[in-house]
Amino acid sequence: MRKPGIDFHTHPLLVREMVERYPELAKAARETYFIGNNFQPLETFHLELDLAGLEKAVVLPMDATTAAGATVWTNQQIAELCRMSARFIGFASVDPHQQDAPERLKRAVRELGLRGLKLNPPMQGFFPDDRLAYPVYEAARDLGIPILFHAGMSWEPGSRLQYGYPLRFENVAADFPKLRIVLAHLAWPWVVEAVALALKYPNVYLDTSALYFDNPRDFLKFAMTHQVPLTVFERSLRRQLVFGSNYPRVEIKNMAAAIDSLGFSEECLDLIFRCNAETLLGVTP
Amino acid sequence: MIVKLTRIEVQSRKDLEMIDITGQIESAVAASGVRDGIAWAMTAHTSAGLLVTEGIDCLERDVLAHLERLAPKLPPEGTYGYWHNRYLDFDGRLGFNAGDHLKSILGGVNCLFPVENGKLVRGSRQRAYFVEYDGPLARTVFIQVLGEGQALGEGQKEQNT
Repeated sequence: MRKPGIDFHTHPLLVREMVERYPELAKAARETYFIGNNFQPLETFHLELDLAGLEKAVVLPMDATTAAGATVWTNQQIAELCRMSARFIGFASVDPHQQDAPERLKRAVRELGLRGLKLNPPMQGFFPDDRLAYPVYEAARDLGIPILFHAGMSWEPGSRLQYGYPLRFENVAADFPKLRIVLAHLAWPWVVEAVALALKYPNVYLDTSALYFDNPRDFLKFAMTHQVPLTVFERSLRRQLVFGSNYPRVEIKNMAAAIDSLGFSEECLDLIFRCNAETLLGVTP
Repeated sequence: MIVKLTRIEVQSRKDLEMIDITGQIESAVAASGVRDGIAWAMTAHTSAGLLVTEGIDCLERDVLAHLERLAPKLPPEGTYGYWHNRYLDFDGRLGFNAGDHLKSILGGVNCLFPVENGKLVRGSRQRAYFVEYDGPLARTVFIQVLGEGQALGEGQKEQNT
């Protein structure tokens, strides 16, 4: 039995209480994030976590003002949601194209209490190693917060896959050794490249929120035992892998069960589901 | 002739779960003013169902276990797969719950009862269940009561429910 852990990758897009307060969130969910599921009471999110044996979830916004003319939840809305439930850990998002992005990030962390940064290069339309984003990375490093990057495949029709190619993150990892970055979705389909980065750079983490065909069990078995042997994750990357579901594109229960089914040791599962997330968030035991 | 449609929300708390909604159907009948007619309930979802069976815990477990055997969420590895396991662009996500849709078809999505003298008529062992095949989720159930009677005012509805 795992200890209660953290889902490091969720989007609170379907929380009905917030959609009722801010009707524009419904449009963002449907037209920017392209999710078609019914809106759900906050309780459903909590029950999803319970069913997966998790205590908390990182909730993510997206500021794609320049590239898409839209935000998918603002930093203030994420902070408001976190005030509604102690089970949420709020991350900020800023638009790297905007000159005041570093200042916005500082305010989101210092004034709103957000604890990380979410960037989505394909949706936000920038290459991760573009110097335009470096002031944001410097701010995140100075604030001591992790950056969760979307990496790999993107479903959104307006996004371009080239922005999520893992080797475009190498300069970031090399130039900011004290900045902890997480490549989401195992950067699928470029799992081998993402693993290479994580093997070389200890400040590079991977999250497990990958599902692009079949079902969570069969897909993760393909990516984490066939594309790259499970032993690489278990032996070499055990402290750089965090559980993420990408809820609500996938239910948390299904992704957690899939990770549980792969054959990791209990010790490694505790690292993936709990300890590594706490390290990233700066939680000391 | 009275035709009264009521929508109720049912919050499932588990992946697979049977939730007794007999009382809510009876309340809808009482609030409708229908004296003699029928009450019909239907889930608004395709990975959930409605069915009528005996209201005991052991049978609830058997129903769920048997439907899961017939239409498993994850077929045994190396046996067969579901065509539904693919990206659904209209939903923005993968469909990997074919087994739950199939359970919904097998178990049914609606149930029907007579209404007599303003009361739901059912066998002494019969209970109406909402059945969750892919929870936890907040779900909608439609209850429609049709028949002869007298439409009630707001105060009378509250009294009857």
